[in-house]
Amino acid sequence: MLEYLELLKVIFIDQNRYMYMLQGLVFSVSTTVFATIIGLILGVLFSLMQIVHFYPLKHKTGFEKFNPLERIAVAYINLIRGTPAVVQLMILANLIFVGYLRDTPIVVVASIAFGINSGAYVAEIIRAGIQSLDKGQLEAARALGMPYSLAMKDVVIPQAIKNILPTLVSEFIVLLKETSIVGFIGGIDLLRSANIITSQTYRGIEPLIAVALIYLILTSVFAMLMKKIEKGLKKSD
Amino acid sequence: MIKIKNMYKNFGTLEVLKNISLNIEKGEIVAIIGPSGSGKSTFLRCVNRLEDPTSGSIHILGENLVDEKTDINIVREHVGMVFQLFNLFPHKTVMENITLAPVMLKKMSKESAYENGMRLLKKVGLEDKKDVYPNKLSGGQKQRIAIARALAMNPDVMLFDEPTSSLDPEMIKEVLDVMIDLAREGMTMIIVTHEMGFARNVATRVIFMDDGTILEDEKPKEFFENPKSARAKEFLYKVLNK
Repeated sequence: MLEYLELLKVIFIDQNRYMYMLQGLVFSVSTTVFATIIGLILGVLFSLMQIVHFYPLKHKTGFEKFNPLERIAVAYINLIRGTPAVVQLMILANLIFVGYLRDTPIVVVASIAFGINSGAYVAEIIRAGIQSLDKGQLEAARALGMPYSLAMKDVVIPQAIKNILPTLVSEFIVLLKETSIVGFIGGIDLLRSANIITSQTYRGIEPLIAVALIYLILTSVFAMLMKKIEKGLKKSD
Repeated sequence: MIKIKNMYKNFGTLEVLKNISLNIEKGEIVAIIGPSGSGKSTFLRCVNRLEDPTSGSIHILGENLVDEKTDINIVREHVGMVFQLFNLFPHKTVMENITLAPVMLKKMSKESAYENGMRLLKKVGLEDKKDVYPNKLSGGQKQRIAIARALAMNPDVMLFDEPTSSLDPEMIKEVLDVMIDLAREGMTMIIVTHEMGFARNVATRVIFMDDGTILEDEKPKEFFENPKSARAKEFLYKVLNK
């Protein structure tokens, strides 16, 4: 037992190897946070593009219900959801961030890649959250004379957020875990930090277990936080 | 006050309303009855353009609703609507439900909207519920709040879309009583309903619809005692002898 603790000390503490993990953690979390911000912005944008009644050709027969914004959003969502995140990440890193952009920090490249990826999923979560709301709510607001934008802001969106928030947090958790593929483009995240420690100590299991534990703790904390928020939102039910 | 001319409404290839023309004067209490699928609710929903008529014109207080230049939101401020499923805003308290539109549309200050809200809550007998969320209320209470909410905009006409159809039998009376009070005060009302007693005793005019057209347009006494069309006779026989 004592021997094993000694071994763990050698693996993680000696030569400050835990610093690799700490740096990996910072990389993973900051990539997730930046990607979430980008994903939320894109998600709101692309979900609205699908929801708004934008029919520029409504006077042309056959095009009354043609919404170009919706078409763009749907194409983006299908493209992102239909291809693996690793492929998207590598395309971005190897085809876009080259030449003058070659020196872009990997955390930036990764954040953009994951943000674009997450945006598609967030857009679907928001769209579903808004459209699953009883349409009587919008009708009641409109019947009172409230314009569409005001009815959305004061009646539909506050209720939709309640539906959306739990799914949004699980998307955040998925994203946190998914960032573990940045090793493919040379990012040193939690998982890569374990590989580095392994290569220095020839111990494969302990660093990986440590990584798994750190992920588990992080995701549990977020899940717990969410439960608290959900309880607060339920006060009118 | 409301002039509807040659109104048609199609859903795809289905003709739901066929050539409806109708004038409604101030103070009239119009009950619209008829079998399911006859277009009653669609007709009512066209009157505040929750449904867009396919053709024809609707004038309310001189404004043509079908004209694209008409600001539909302004017209809707004058036309209150009560729904079968109440559609109260569940994330807002009773008082917030009532004051939301008048305050947001800058019709009233917060204070006067609140005072007006209290007056309306007293009128529907629910002033003790002002800080409660709708999900804590019974169906009848919800519908009375929905009526108060529609009245908060000081409408000139009120539309009721089967206001008692989703209520327990015990609660129907409390909602009808509020509507009767409203009728006595001279409110113009259009009511899609299956409550024949109400249509007979409170309405000043009964419109019987079937298959997207108006078959009868009569005084209640005349309609119930002496229906002219065979369809209305059959309908009345079925609903009155159930």
